[in-house]
Amino acid sequence: MAEDDGKWGIAHVHASFNNTIITITDQTGAETLAKSSGGTVVKQNRDEASPYAAMQMAETVAEQVQQRGIDGVHVRVRGPGGNQQQNPGPGAQATIRALARAGLEIGRIEDVTPIPHDGTRSPKSSGF
Amino acid sequence: MSERSVSRQRQEKQWYTVLAPEEFDRAEIGETLADEPDKAIDRTIETTLGDLRNDAGENNTKLTFRIRELGSDTAYTEFVKHELTRDYLRSLVRRGSSKVEAYVTVLTTDDYRVQIQPVALTTKKADASQEQAIREQMVDMIEDAAEERTFEDLIDSVVEGRLSSAIYNEATTIYPLRRVEIQKATLEALPEEVAEEQETSVAVDE
Repeated sequence: MAEDDGKWGIAHVHASFNNTIITITDQTGAETLAKSSGGTVVKQNRDEASPYAAMQMAETVAEQVQQRGIDGVHVRVRGPGGNQQQNPGPGAQATIRALARAGLEIGRIEDVTPIPHDGTRSPKSSGF
Repeated sequence: MSERSVSRQRQEKQWYTVLAPEEFDRAEIGETLADEPDKAIDRTIETTLGDLRNDAGENNTKLTFRIRELGSDTAYTEFVKHELTRDYLRSLVRRGSSKVEAYVTVLTTDDYRVQIQPVALTTKKADASQEQAIREQMVDMIEDAAEERTFEDLIDSVVEGRLSSAIYNEATTIYPLRRVEIQKATLEALPEEVAEEQETSVAVDE
């Protein structure tokens, strides 16, 4: 399987302000090839969303999928969305850069933050 | 023990090459991995029009296909959704101009039910009455278009932009328009499903 080349996958990056979750799937999004989240690389909870953690995660994930014969990924970034922040957290940028540095080709980058077409009342602003 | 079973499981999985429907020249869209053929059916796969046609200028349109049938190592798909990318749609919206949207559910000549969402953007702020007139015009034109076309033709005219430019030419006389696009076209029901619904609705009536 490793000798197969030229396959593409999708890297789903869920970057919130408290964590970053990376899942790499095949192009249908139905088969997970590799996944990682902040807790696998850092000890302190508050560091789970850090760009450093995202970098470490992206490196290990990239290596795993390269073994499975993937050499390019389309990226789908999302923030928490819904009635929370619409913007992806600090881990998103770092993840994409680290994936590219690890030798994966980056295709389309798309923002897939869920946007409500009017839903429940948003939480009160906490000052940022 | 557990490690060994994982590796065996991986070996059993097979890659299927996913092909686009005939309307899109059976172009190769991508690959998917499955251990049992049944699991690959009904998966959806998304590409851009640019990828399908090898034309980087048309990357603002996303097309979604659903896997219908499996060959030995290929998967055949059907069209389910056409959508503009979010960033492109957002780039069209400007301050001081109106955005007129409509949602139309139509039945094609060969009994496919399709939902089409056109969107028109004006050069300057339009009055509510003008917006309403534009919306009516859009709905009428799409209903007419669906009445005389098959599913394939309708999707083709949506994807190629013929439908939106036809609407533009008609509706721009009501109020100067900047752009008309079909922001989304979704397949809602296949002919068999439509027929089934009609039967059941008759049964309820009696």
